[in-house]
Amino acid sequence: MSQSFDLLIDGMIETIRSRILPQLGDDFVRGQAYGIIYALSGLKLSADWSIAPLRSQIALQDKAFAEFVRLGAELDHPDVPCGPRVLPSAPESAELERLRNDGDRKLGELLMWTSGPGAAADPERAKAIQATLRHIIRDQLKIDISIMAKPMFHELATGEESGSAQSRG
Amino acid sequence: MKANVAPSLDPLSGTQSPGAKTAELAIDDATMRHRLTQYLCAEAGSPVEVETFERRSTGFSWITYSFTARDQSGQKRKLILRVGPTNGLFAPYSVLPQVYALQSMENSRVPVPRLVSYSQQGANIGFPFFISEHVAGDVAAPWLGSGATEQHRRGIVLQFLDILAELHTIDWQHLPLRELLVKIPAGERTERAPLTAWRALVSRPLIRYYPLLDWAGLWLHENCPTPPRMTIVHGDYRVGNFLEENGNITAILDWELTHVGDPHEDLGWALVPTFNGGSRKLYGVMERSEVIDRYQNKSGITLSPRSLAYYEAFALYQMAAIQICGIHAFEVAGFDDMRMAAMSTQMASIVRALDKAIEVVA
Repeated sequence: MSQSFDLLIDGMIETIRSRILPQLGDDFVRGQAYGIIYALSGLKLSADWSIAPLRSQIALQDKAFAEFVRLGAELDHPDVPCGPRVLPSAPESAELERLRNDGDRKLGELLMWTSGPGAAADPERAKAIQATLRHIIRDQLKIDISIMAKPMFHELATGEESGSAQSRG
Repeated sequence: MKANVAPSLDPLSGTQSPGAKTAELAIDDATMRHRLTQYLCAEAGSPVEVETFERRSTGFSWITYSFTARDQSGQKRKLILRVGPTNGLFAPYSVLPQVYALQSMENSRVPVPRLVSYSQQGANIGFPFFISEHVAGDVAAPWLGSGATEQHRRGIVLQFLDILAELHTIDWQHLPLRELLVKIPAGERTERAPLTAWRALVSRPLIRYYPLLDWAGLWLHENCPTPPRMTIVHGDYRVGNFLEENGNITAILDWELTHVGDPHEDLGWALVPTFNGGSRKLYGVMERSEVIDRYQNKSGITLSPRSLAYYEAFALYQMAAIQICGIHAFEVAGFDDMRMAAMSTQMASIVRALDKAIEVVA
């Protein structure tokens, strides 16, 4: 079980318990809410974060690290993980999520290095490394976007269904 | 008010689990009404009855209530109460920027609700709050596009820009808003202070770290342009933060992020497509070139294309930082508001757009 998935399910259950149930007076509707809590608790035990997007993101990070090593070969730069970090024996999603998050932190460190004094020895090469890292990170974000639901800012902010264009002042 | 529940920490992550809530943070409307009545009576030194009391928004930050107060003589006043809750998106809150703004604008041509009362300490209410007069009007929904006619929206946009020009040409140095400058750390460039504040919020540790967002903060810091002049900046000037009635803007709202800075900042924020029904045109009707011409003609301030592009990138950074605040509220502070968790789902698209926007500036 990944940490974010776990948090999300716990958050949904707690919201129904503390924010929604106290506002419900109808016993049947309360029963429905408890039904949702039960279903969510079951989901928490049986479902898991999809591992395919995490694997793809880690592969992109590995590509970024390899490019960094190639382009920055003669520069004094931070340590970079080498080789594929995910072994064929697929770890569970929590481990993949940890690897992805660690990879993001390392990419952040490398990006910051390209803008810092360490890269001053060869600014042109640092710039090229920076462009490469940004490009690959953007590809990584595309994977997040591909599994993202349509924004619901209006509903979240107003509590109204989409369709009414004005709210009360 | 519910009893306080001690927070429990997840030993593995160091974050608070959503099950461990500071339940006292939930604001109960009946309790709030009671406390408001107590406050009004204390202020008046005589009985005051709160006849109607209604929560007006479920926004992400300050909570707004509309109420009618009747004093001992039977006189009624329709008023607005705005409360900064302990568990709001940008908590802990200061009421002072809004108070200074409303005081500073009172005799200007920038329409604002008249300030009636306020307390930073919370008085009877328990949270920082202010009370203002009620202003008639509706709030346009920024995210969906408007159902109003194009002609109607053009009329509103012209006023929107003229008011912004008016705001940016106010001589603020002798107004209460000048007090906000005191809070800027010595050595900090005034126009960069908002970025510094957002970067501090972004740098708080969360489960997911966004390398491009971190780097973008550094880039924006190093490439912040020199302002054409230092002006009042509303800080959240966009469709959705004004009241309109019969084709007229009746009040500019939500001054919590106001500060002194670069006037490009307000324009960059107002032009974010998210606030314009997904359109690159202001309110979906006015091209950028026309926006710039209108603003320059009315304000006398010459806009720099590079500065505007910079502040469009800054706007996306600010949007990402606001999402981060939502994620932090949910993951770390343990607030049981699922909207905070939902906000995190948009991070990837915002960060990607931010990086592209930086490419445009560079």
